[in-house]
Amino acid sequence: MTRLRMLLAALLPLVLALLALPAAWPAAAADNLIVGAIYVGSVNDYGYNRSMHDGLMAMKAAIPGVTVLEAENVPESAEAERVMEGMIQQGAKLIFATSFGHQQFAFNLAQKHPDVDFEHAGGWMQAANFGNFFGATQAAWYPMGVAAGKMTKTNTLGFVAGVPIGYVIGNINAFALGARSVNPKVEVRVVATGSWSDKAKEAAATGALIDQGADVIAMHVDSPATVIQVAESRGVYSIGFQSLEARALAPKGWITGLGFTWGPFMTATAKSVIDGAFKPAMVREGLGEGMIAIAPFGPAVPEETQALVTAAADKVGKGFNPFTGPITDNTGVVRIKDGEAWGGDKMGNFDWYVEGVIGKAK
Amino acid sequence: MSAAFPIALASAAILSGTSLLYATLGELIGERAGIVNLGLEGLMLIGASTGFAGAAVTANPYLGVAAAALAGVAANGLFSYVVITRHANQLAAGLSLTFFGLGASALIGRPFVGAIVPGLPHLGAFDLLVWLAAPLAIVLSGLLYRTRWGLTLRAVGESPAAAFAAGRRPDRVQYEALAVAGALGGISGAHLSLAVALTWDEGMTAGRGFIAIALVIFAGWNPLWAVIGALVFGGAESLQLQFQARGVDVSPFLMNMVPYLLTLLVLTFSGLRGRSAAPAGLGRSFFGVE
Repeated sequence: MTRLRMLLAALLPLVLALLALPAAWPAAAADNLIVGAIYVGSVNDYGYNRSMHDGLMAMKAAIPGVTVLEAENVPESAEAERVMEGMIQQGAKLIFATSFGHQQFAFNLAQKHPDVDFEHAGGWMQAANFGNFFGATQAAWYPMGVAAGKMTKTNTLGFVAGVPIGYVIGNINAFALGARSVNPKVEVRVVATGSWSDKAKEAAATGALIDQGADVIAMHVDSPATVIQVAESRGVYSIGFQSLEARALAPKGWITGLGFTWGPFMTATAKSVIDGAFKPAMVREGLGEGMIAIAPFGPAVPEETQALVTAAADKVGKGFNPFTGPITDNTGVVRIKDGEAWGGDKMGNFDWYVEGVIGKAK
Repeated sequence: MSAAFPIALASAAILSGTSLLYATLGELIGERAGIVNLGLEGLMLIGASTGFAGAAVTANPYLGVAAAALAGVAANGLFSYVVITRHANQLAAGLSLTFFGLGASALIGRPFVGAIVPGLPHLGAFDLLVWLAAPLAIVLSGLLYRTRWGLTLRAVGESPAAAFAAGRRPDRVQYEALAVAGALGGISGAHLSLAVALTWDEGMTAGRGFIAIALVIFAGWNPLWAVIGALVFGGAESLQLQFQARGVDVSPFLMNMVPYLLTLLVLTFSGLRGRSAAPAGLGRSFFGVE
């Protein structure tokens, strides 16, 4: 008995060493980059997380030898730090922290691991090994408005917003400006659910907008799945946001949508890490730079409307700014004066709706 | 033009009130038998994910609802064993069930995130579960007040010892009540995923299980009042969204408080009546008569 115990005691360190070996392996043979990515939800959400996952996969396809470590449903808490730490233990040298609330936790780790580079989506923090990136979505919503403005028969558009922060209000404003550029009679009704992901409320919000006569529904929530499917089941049109794949949810009523195409940016970032030339920056790119794309049109969209939308998207891609004055808010106050144009930081700071949007932004 | 506001509001209230009503009726039956189940939220989540998964696998939403009901019975069976046979503290066991449900539903639902499933079809204005909800409350009310089973159940809830002395088996009745409660909790979740949201998302009940527990108190442990309660609570949620869609300027935060303010009001007034409507044996373990 005692002999057996001694044998076991002798074997134990060996077993432990063997167990530790696979974890140490990738780090030892690290000429191939390992990239970690954390998502706040599921990558099958037809939404934001799906777009991030698709970007990572595009990067993987573009650079041979890259390994991707992914973690879904990572909460915006200290848990995120533990998940990323685990990825670093497995040899990750580049981490994409993809949800807004992951920022502080990624930043803490960046301080702790100067040899690992971090990219955070949507934040503002910067360090030698910490950059951030996001889509410049506001202007891209303008062609979506053009599509909606042409397709509506009731001249009422509905917009389901998660949390009505300035950035979201900017999207809604550009959407309304685009719609009224082709159909001045259009009004945009907005319902905010107060959450980025509360499916039952999103369903009820969509229903409320349709009850008010909206026949085109757009949304800005984490996953468009519920809003688009409810719209489809009630026979109205929808315009998607976050992932280009959302069109699968509405075979009949799909008009078009905006999707993030993170692939090129992620590929360039990974290459810079491989070359040892990572440069942190605050990247905000849109339709023109290829960080956002327009989804294929649905079967109901006439060709002339398609042409109008594509032309509007091209215009935005070439630098057209929808927020060029004079622009009045929905109480009649001129907010952007003639000859003035809003861009950059101001896109996240809207606290007013443009003319044609029903409701109060504050 | 758009539907008239009262009609739109009523139909929205009915739609969001339905899953609340099933959950409330389930909790109510359990509480009438003396068992408070704080795990309702977990039950609903298990129902929502199992229902969605069932509908995805079988391509039949009704089979999804059936699967959800069975999953609810199974999950509540576990809870029953712990609190009835093992006499565990009901509040602690219930909260554990909530967190168990959160994890279990995520596990069950994970392969089906993003699946496109057939939702419950509309029969006229609403789906079948909506049409059955209010009649179910009437049936349960009949069962509770007009059958021997209901009499026994209520007796067990008031005083298990007295029911035991009268030759009843309190544990058996409680197991039966919790099986019904589990099925209803599961169906409640399935209505959310298969008729309202048409998708499964982790934690999608977003606290509705706890609202339903409050609704039992609101309804004074009476199934018929639960119908009114579910409509009021469902209506409060819809009203806020309908107001926004009409451009009426009310604070969504204020509107979100309305259901809870109503509950506090009802609790205040039921306290003033001097006599609580709650079953006297609620929350107590019955260790048998030695």
